[in-house]
Amino acid sequence: MAKVTMIEAINRAHAWEMTRDPTVVVLGEDVGVNGGVFRATAGLQEQFGKDRVQDTPLAEGMIAGMSIGMATQGLRPVAEIQFMGFIYPALDQIGNHMARLRNRTRGRLTCPVVLRMPHGGGIHAPEHHSECLEALLAHHAGLRVVCPSSPARAYGLLLAAIRDPDPVIFLEPARLYRLVKQEVTDDGQALPLDVCYRLREGTDVTIVTWGAMVTETMRAAEKLESEGVSCEVLDLATLSPIDHNTILESVVKTGRLVIVHEAPRNCGIGAEIAATVAERGLYDLHAPIKRVTGYDTIIPLSRLEHDYIPNTARITDAVRETLAE
Amino acid sequence: MTTFNLPDLGEGLAEAEIVRWHVKVGDTIAVDQPMLAVETAKAVVEVPAPFAGVVKLLHGQPGDVIATGAPLIELEGSSAAQIAGAAGPHGGTAAGRSKAAADSGTVVGNVPTSNDELIETAQAGGRARYAAAPGGRLRAAPAARALAKKLGVDLARVNGSGRGGVIVVDDVIAHSGIGTAAARSGATHPHASTTSATAQHAPSAPAFSDGGEKLRGLRRAMAQSMALARDTVANCTIFDDADLHAWREGEDITVRLLRAIAAGCQAEPALNALFDGNTQTRRLMPRVDVGMAVDTAEGLIVPAIRDVGSRTSAELRQDVDRLKRAARERTVAPDDLRDITFMLSNFGTIAGRYGTPLVVPPLVAILGSGRLTRDVVAVKDRIEAHLRMPLSLTFDHRCVTGGEAARFLAAVLRDLEKDH
Amino acid sequence: MPLAEWTAGGFAFLKTVAEFEIKYCQFLDAEGNLAPDSPPLASDTSELLKMYRFMTLVRTFDAKAVNLQRTGKLGTYASCLGHEAAHVGIGAAMQPDDVLAPVYREFGTQMWRGVKMSSILLYWGGDERGSNFTAARQDFPWCVPIASQMLHGAGVAMAMKIRGEKRCSVTYIGDGGTSEGAFYEGINVAGARSLPAVFVIVNNRWAISVPIESQTATKTLAQKAIAAGIPGVQVDGNDIIAVRHTVGEALARARRGEGPTLIEALTYRLSDHTTADDASRYRDPGEVKEAWSKEPLVRLRSYLTKLRVWDEAREEALKAECAREVEAAVDEYLSAPMPTTDEMFDHLFAHPPASLLEQREMARRYRGR
Repeated sequence: MAKVTMIEAINRAHAWEMTRDPTVVVLGEDVGVNGGVFRATAGLQEQFGKDRVQDTPLAEGMIAGMSIGMATQGLRPVAEIQFMGFIYPALDQIGNHMARLRNRTRGRLTCPVVLRMPHGGGIHAPEHHSECLEALLAHHAGLRVVCPSSPARAYGLLLAAIRDPDPVIFLEPARLYRLVKQEVTDDGQALPLDVCYRLREGTDVTIVTWGAMVTETMRAAEKLESEGVSCEVLDLATLSPIDHNTILESVVKTGRLVIVHEAPRNCGIGAEIAATVAERGLYDLHAPIKRVTGYDTIIPLSRLEHDYIPNTARITDAVRETLAE
Repeated sequence: MTTFNLPDLGEGLAEAEIVRWHVKVGDTIAVDQPMLAVETAKAVVEVPAPFAGVVKLLHGQPGDVIATGAPLIELEGSSAAQIAGAAGPHGGTAAGRSKAAADSGTVVGNVPTSNDELIETAQAGGRARYAAAPGGRLRAAPAARALAKKLGVDLARVNGSGRGGVIVVDDVIAHSGIGTAAARSGATHPHASTTSATAQHAPSAPAFSDGGEKLRGLRRAMAQSMALARDTVANCTIFDDADLHAWREGEDITVRLLRAIAAGCQAEPALNALFDGNTQTRRLMPRVDVGMAVDTAEGLIVPAIRDVGSRTSAELRQDVDRLKRAARERTVAPDDLRDITFMLSNFGTIAGRYGTPLVVPPLVAILGSGRLTRDVVAVKDRIEAHLRMPLSLTFDHRCVTGGEAARFLAAVLRDLEKDH
Repeated sequence: MPLAEWTAGGFAFLKTVAEFEIKYCQFLDAEGNLAPDSPPLASDTSELLKMYRFMTLVRTFDAKAVNLQRTGKLGTYASCLGHEAAHVGIGAAMQPDDVLAPVYREFGTQMWRGVKMSSILLYWGGDERGSNFTAARQDFPWCVPIASQMLHGAGVAMAMKIRGEKRCSVTYIGDGGTSEGAFYEGINVAGARSLPAVFVIVNNRWAISVPIESQTATKTLAQKAIAAGIPGVQVDGNDIIAVRHTVGEALARARRGEGPTLIEALTYRLSDHTTADDASRYRDPGEVKEAWSKEPLVRLRSYLTKLRVWDEAREEALKAECAREVEAAVDEYLSAPMPTTDEMFDHLFAHPPASLLEQREMARRYRGR
């Protein structure tokens, strides 16, 4: 057991699984000698060699496409896209091939690839380095999208993603990479995919969130607790497919729902959750569903960044509004 | 004079310890000239002067720990206002570029770093399947909730008539006593403006001076639905007696009645129908669901025995018992109170031979069965004492003919008079 | 201004730091005459006959497929008419445990490697089961997004290299495909990592209606290999001896660990781009007629006839046999049962989420309504 940051947890998960499973191969830009620009793969090339930890040429489409070819040959590629904003050249391979290979060959060829990348803003980065594009990927049938919010979940969910026989897009909130440490046992235990994680039990309102926004949400929940409001906080964790059942079960109990995400509002994953609760849990609701999200703008550069990202105040206000209905 | 704060020396480190000053108060220093050495968690780092100037004040001595962003040195110089700790290695000081600089752990921006520990509990979900709401929470349509709030209606006291017992707007209206009360089975549109002229106006002043007991719940529902029935249905009743001479010991009267109704409906489907007087449309129902009037302490309720034509006697008896028990305990589910196609009033278990039961729309018929008695009857030319059951069949003459009703009754009698 | 002029006059400061040349290979010319320095394959009549028979089968199948489309029994289909030597030659040069990443026209290669004609028809008939090959099970399915298969071929070769296997990947691409970014990314990474990959550009001169002259400024497509630092060679794609020999050499190179090769096979698309295309709208009939005179079956037949191992009677018998085989495949295709709605859902995940199963139920309920 050790107290590790999310980056360290991700690193340990790689090391564990690469030791246990010789078919796991890491590739990406600067992942080998440099250990990844955030050091997620630090030390792995020394430990496992250049064939298993590869510095690739600079081409995201090639990284995604080559991973597909390798996967059909029985390897388990864990490929890094350096920032989510650079995923666009890889979308052809992701959407046209990665998500579909099992389906279009009726199971003859499969694609056990993990494509991991930093997610979201709040680190004063230059343009194009702060994107939250999970909705684009969630809209692809055949693709899983996962986003941990703590070192422990990063460790356990990454192991699950690597072991899953189908492609997983693994989004790592950059703002959380080193924000806190947590006791994480390096024992190779995976955590389940496709389920929410209840981080806080409550009775007055259900708040569903994921990624870096978990931090602000938990802070908001504490503040509201002191005002006598009992919040139930669910970390969505797997953004696609969504574990609607846990959310609905919670809404039956609380009757109120607030969804918090950093990504822009329009057509964000919050809309999918809200629509499903409206379809299947309408009669349990006491108030309209509320979403607290990034604005429908491009995420601004660092000077305005923290005005864009939903803060604790916006979350607490939204909860109070649902209670006032 | 300008205060220079300890900059972020990379990796978002929280503090640094002063190792050694290279300058003293009064010195004139040039830009980039090393001012002091500080030790971070990783390395000893030189901090250069941000601009040229004269040293006015040092904010600490060797051994002191200075927090990132806290004042380090006061300089009197020509350029720049207060320089806060720069963000990130690319915007920072020469220290960030020195060989001894710690790994910033990023290639752009500034990843916030701290030693705070995250303590959390996380419970993986997905175990419980989503089922219909347990008894605890009220399920109500949003519009119903809003109306209830407006009218001051306590939702906990309202029976829901929507699917699965959901409380809908009409339930709130009915409960509040304002406006139209729709018939329970809901086959007609409760909003039809001509459904009931009687209940539209606001309640008038009571007839007795002390105000009396305001009808609520089942009694209120009965008052309203009977008024509706009286106002719209063309009630007509045929009476007859079933000769149960052939019955063996221990025949189940209720079950025989249910079976006989099924036989009657098979012979004359016109009596197992729903009729909407407003639109003058009739629907023959494919299945016979008999509402059995049950008297409870709170009033009359009519739970449904489903599909009496297809079920065995044992099944029917089970259902009857279940519903009677539920009625006593006031646990009849809303689903068991709706969608009936025919009504049975077995008042004879208490008293009364014949009656004129009222048809409740949108149904078109109701069979009343009276008290079984041993009657003197003429058989050929002999006098015998036979067990007989009086029957009173009321039908809605707007959409059922006398002939249909009579043939129905004939089939009921034939079935009842069988030995088993 | 041509580069030569740059180094004269005022630009004499420029020095030559790299030069390149592109070589071309042909053994059997359009009339069926053999060149003097031909490889042993040219006299291996049994192997040549085997390949000729197969080319005839491919052509027969192809014509039948077009007819099926024209009679409403097949969806849009991409004919391989005129490409038989290139496709069969490459298939014959490969080992069974090599891996193929095709585009969508190379039925000759696939059929040689064991993919059933009925599978090909199933796919173009609108059924994904057609991609569930019964043989060559590691080969990639047909690839519609142009050039994206280049990275799959590179990835397959990377895996083989990591495991030290003596296997290769062979990736096809068309002349139009060489304009896509993925083409360059594929040859680049293959060269940079010395992958056991052979990339074959089938230059049939037309990318739907866009002729090769309009596609790029380079004189050959093989020279795009220079950009990746790998060898690039041109071959007469209608000369099956040249194709098989050159690809064979490239594969041997790769197996020895000497890295990838880019091969440009020159041929001509004698058909429309697909059955939905009408090439007469944009092609000169004179050009098409001239291409027919260089077509691959005729020249090999002529050569085999010269060698006295072929004649009219054998030709007729072969055609009849191929027709029978193709008919059997068509019957198999036409009598294949329709897929169930469950097929839409059952091959997305090994562990499908509950929400997907609910939708599967719905599709069952609404089937045929």
